[in-house]
Amino acid sequence: MTDTKTNNSKVVLNEFNQAVKGVSLWQDAWRRLKKNRMAMFGLWTIIFYSLISLLAPLLPIHSYKQQVLEHQFLKPSLRPAGELMFERQDYLIRALAAKEGRSELNAAETDRLAELKASIDTETKVLLTGEEVLVHYRVYPLGTDSLGRDLLARIIYGGQVSILIGLLGAVTAVLIGVVLGSLSGYIGGTFDSLMMRFVDIMYSLPYMLLVIIFMAVFGRAIQNLFFALAIVSWLTVARVVRGQIISLKNSEYVEAAKSSGAGTGRIVFRHLIPNTAGVIIVYTTLLIPSFIMLEAFLSFLGLGVQAPFASWGVLIQDGVYAMTTYPWLLLFPAGAMTLFLFSMNFLGDGLRDAMDPQSKNKL
Amino acid sequence: MSKYILRRALGLIPTMFIIVTICFFFIRLAPGGPFSREKKIPPQIMKNIEAKYHLDEPLAVQYIRYLGDVVRGDLGPSYKYKDYDVNFYIGRSLPVSLILGSLSLLIAVLFGMIAGMLSSLRQNTWIDYLSMSVAVVGISVPLFVIGPVLMYIFAMKLNILPVAGWIDEKGFKALIIPVVTLSLPYFATIARLSRASFLESLRSDYVRTAKAKGLKTSVIMFKHVLKGASLPVVSYLGPAFSGIITGSIVIEQIFRIPGLGRHFVQSAFNRDYTMIMGTVIVYSLILVIMNFIVDVVYGYLDPRISYK
Repeated sequence: MTDTKTNNSKVVLNEFNQAVKGVSLWQDAWRRLKKNRMAMFGLWTIIFYSLISLLAPLLPIHSYKQQVLEHQFLKPSLRPAGELMFERQDYLIRALAAKEGRSELNAAETDRLAELKASIDTETKVLLTGEEVLVHYRVYPLGTDSLGRDLLARIIYGGQVSILIGLLGAVTAVLIGVVLGSLSGYIGGTFDSLMMRFVDIMYSLPYMLLVIIFMAVFGRAIQNLFFALAIVSWLTVARVVRGQIISLKNSEYVEAAKSSGAGTGRIVFRHLIPNTAGVIIVYTTLLIPSFIMLEAFLSFLGLGVQAPFASWGVLIQDGVYAMTTYPWLLLFPAGAMTLFLFSMNFLGDGLRDAMDPQSKNKL
Repeated sequence: MSKYILRRALGLIPTMFIIVTICFFFIRLAPGGPFSREKKIPPQIMKNIEAKYHLDEPLAVQYIRYLGDVVRGDLGPSYKYKDYDVNFYIGRSLPVSLILGSLSLLIAVLFGMIAGMLSSLRQNTWIDYLSMSVAVVGISVPLFVIGPVLMYIFAMKLNILPVAGWIDEKGFKALIIPVVTLSLPYFATIARLSRASFLESLRSDYVRTAKAKGLKTSVIMFKHVLKGASLPVVSYLGPAFSGIITGSIVIEQIFRIPGLGRHFVQSAFNRDYTMIMGTVIVYSLILVIMNFIVDVVYGYLDPRISYK
């Protein structure tokens, strides 16, 4: 890993007098990654999700908290909400009439339908954004939930929350893990054995249970969730980084740095950590989906993100309760989340194979 | 060996002690007591309630009292339910969770090892691709998606399995969906792990020797490869068990199974301190004992481990 830096000032020639161009670790890894089709699929999907989440405010979608109570549980369709509403009402009234043994509707029922039809064309509503629209002309491509909110918007904004928690959680866990793990590995001695004892004890705790208690007891705010997840998930990173550092700390370049007078901090942060970057990046990519899953798990138990915000876990929980009659409320959020987790796992596996070709066939 | 086991078993005591201590103070740190959510209570009555549950004593005294009770196997009265104590509720729900969890783990290990073995023997055939695709699904799709989807297909659409409930009212059919759902992620990981380690063992010299001697594939697999290749799986069992415990909380919620997980979530919402502590202690005990067994089995399987 260390000798990949090439001397750029002088052109190196091989025995056939051809210029040899140095291939850096990253170029090498990228070349291998590009060959892995599943990983590239994962990468493009993640880019797509990230763009959608970032550009969500600019996209022509409804607000995720706009409730239109008349529009509850509309099925996914590209036709305007009014038509679907009218069809449903029409169907219900006809079913009622059929039950009573009439083939024709009576006057009151025809009137009601006509009135509904008229109101669809004219009724307006002031939205949360302040603009007034013909409310029944709204289109819900993925249907609506129990409060008449647009499912597509909720999935996109829920994804924003989920991905953000995944990203922030993974970055925090990696930061804590890398700093503590590398110091512990490099310094060794009592500090190291104390740290590892501590990590061992934390490992033997059923930490998900502690996270659940934490959320239940300290309140269900997003920052609590984030904190609770970050404090328990740096353990594995710390262990892995420690192992890497121990295997690297006796290499020549560390000795060279030491003999030229570099201090512990400089050696650890400038020399050792950059050389473990591959492992760290792979771990971060694999931590993001596990954080998203943990958040969804907590939200599913009712301990995660609170209304009006949504996350994929919250949406799936809502979907589970409604799935008997309105299966799309479960299928779309679950599909969106699963695709993202799939892609993240594929990318993580691909990155690991690309950065460390020897690790193939290992889990 | 027996000395190692004994020392390892004695080592469980401080771990449990630390867990109990952390839980106790962690919960006491929280704002709001177990009775603060109910409607305004006159101060005198509040005082009586606190005296009844010894909440008026200093924290250190409460801690020692609780520790003493736990050592004697008494998890105290529930703050929420007046009729029975925590031991009663845990005693009633623990067997349910144990059946669910151990059955799932058993199935995950059994089928995971079989899938791993088959796909390593028939590498790059449809068996390999099929079991590895199932494994990818199991790893990427969360439990609370798989569970409801299976429930939707098999219970609501096809009507061949019960939607929810437990053995006592629905019969053994009620076990199928929850157990399959709970075991899938662990099946997936075990299948991938054992495939990799079987492949590694199959390429090793001693297997080549065995083949050269003209042994049958089945003999090579079960006598030579299995023992070495099951090491990574055995060491994964510890984390798998802790995952099964967390997973069973969700599964019990989805399928309305009257297990420990439901009590745990309910008591976390109710701030029923003694109940939370009780469930966490029971869960930790199971987890710690499982880790202990895994360590012993690992040492038994791998003679390279030194017992210092």
